[in-house]
Parts: sequence; C-alpha cells; structure tokens
Amino acid sequence: MDSSAIIALSAAIAIAVSTIFPALGQGLAAKAAMESIARQPDAAKDIRSTLIIALSLMEALTIYGLLIGFILAAKV
Amino acid sequence: MGEASEVVIPVGGILDVTGEVIVMWIILAVAAVLSVLVTRNLKERPGRLQNMIETGVETLDGFFTGIIGKHLARKYFFFLGSLFIFIICANYSGLIPGVGLTKYFKAPTSSLSVTLGLGVSTFVFLQIAGLRAGVKHYFKRFISPIAFMLPLMVLDEFIKPASLALRLFGNVFGEETVTHNLYDLLPIGVPVIMMVLSLLFCAIQAVVFTMLTSIYLEEAVETD
Repeated sequence: MDSSAIIALSAAIAIAVSTIFPALGQGLAAKAAMESIARQPDAAKDIRSTLIIALSLMEALTIYGLLIGFILAAKV
Repeated sequence: MGEASEVVIPVGGILDVTGEVIVMWIILAVAAVLSVLVTRNLKERPGRLQNMIETGVETLDGFFTGIIGKHLARKYFFFLGSLFIFIICANYSGLIPGVGLTKYFKAPTSSLSVTLGLGVSTFVFLQIAGLRAGVKHYFKRFISPIAFMLPLMVLDEFIKPASLALRLFGNVFGEETVTHNLYDLLPIGVPVIMMVLSLLFCAIQAVVFTMLTSIYLEEAVETD
C-alpha cells in the first residue's frame, strides 16, 4: 500500500467517523425535541430555536471532519 | 486551507483583487444603494419598497430581541444586523447562475479569509462590548469561578470566533464543492438537488452565526 492509498483511506475514515457520531447525537436531540413538542405544543417555538442551535453545534463537528477530508483529498 | 483564490486584478501582492472581493463589492454596493434609496424620503405611510425593508428590519429586530432582550438588541443592532445581512447575501450569492464556475465571481463565504475576517471582527466587537460594560467586570469574568480557570477562559475567547469562522466556511465551501462536482457529473438538472438544500443551509448558517454572536455578546456584557 503506497502513501496515496493511505491518505485516501484516512480521508474516508475521517469523514465517515465524523459523520456517524454527530448523526447519532443529532438523532437523540431531535427525538427529545419532538417528544417535548408533542407533549407541550405551546412551547414549540422556543424548542425549535434551541434545537437549531444545538443541531448546528453538532453539525460543526461533521464540518471539521469534512474539512480534514478535503485537505487530505487534495494531497492524494 | 481550501483552494487558493485566483487573482483577477493584481494590486501589489497583498491587495490582490479576487473573485470573492468582487462579489463582496457588489453586495456592499447593492446594500448601500438600497439603504440610501429607502431612507431618502421616509413616509408616515410607507410605499412598497419602504414597507418591504421595514418588515425585514422588524423581523431581524424581533429575532435579536427574542435572544438577548430589547435593550441589548437595540444597542448592538448596528453590528448584529449588518453581520446577518452580509452573511446571508454572501451565502446566497453562491446560488446565482455562473457564480463559482468562473474565477471572476465566487461566493465570498466559501473562502476562509472572508470568514476568518468576520471571526476577527466579531472577536474585536465582543472585547470592546465587554470592556464598555465595565472594565473591572471584564477582567473579573476570566477568573469568575476560580482563578485556576484563567488559561481556559482566555483560550475560550479565541476559540469562539475561530469555530464561528470554520463552521461558516466549512458549510459554504463544502456545499459549493458538492454543487460543482455534481455540475461536472451532469450539467443540467442534477446540481439542483444540492442547490435546493443550499437554500435551507445558507439561511440556517447566517442565523446560527448571528445567534451565537449574540449569545456570546450577552455572556460578555452581563452584569449580575
């Protein structure tokens, strides 16, 4: 296995791992938010804006992985 | 990081004009001309254009008031509002046909230099706002629970704008790259899939950037 193959593989691992775990976290957050909206529809507006912040903070982790993936892919 | 921008008009190395700068100039010119046109003769009973802009500004005002309260939102609306307008225009400029395909026009926020610039100005703004709220309180915040936290709190001040900049850059750059790759795959029809998603993501990124800035602002100026 030459070095470019290792770089390509590590780029794939970087984006895969950094997608899987934030996705799990986002799923949990969305689940909790939907349950609380179902229980208390009046608070839907507050919950939605808080949910968007929380989701975007988790999304940032994926984006860091994506950036590393782009940097590595440019070096293949 | 990312691709190095191609120089369109060389002006002595450091002042080189790139495609991102041209699009930023266009955004600034449109925003400035629109503001002057609307505010030139304000009427008690607004016309069509004034009504539209007023609705937009009122929505923004209500958005910030919901997060940080009326007093702070009105006091710092000049920065937060212009930040939001600039970022959302810059994000959406990537959807104009042709932008991103040539070196003359590129979405400004798909360049790390632009988003880092926004991050640095946010950093300076937060420090000045914190200092204006009270110098003693500003320094006290770094050692507030225990003095042991000082290095972490100082580091935190620098990480906040860096993560804001990286988040915005990563989202817009990733989106533009995916759209571009889809365009290479099949120029007609296929890029629309990603562009529809961009319509959503661009707005969310602008909202998130300003929302986090206003939350940091509230942290910086709160006096208890």
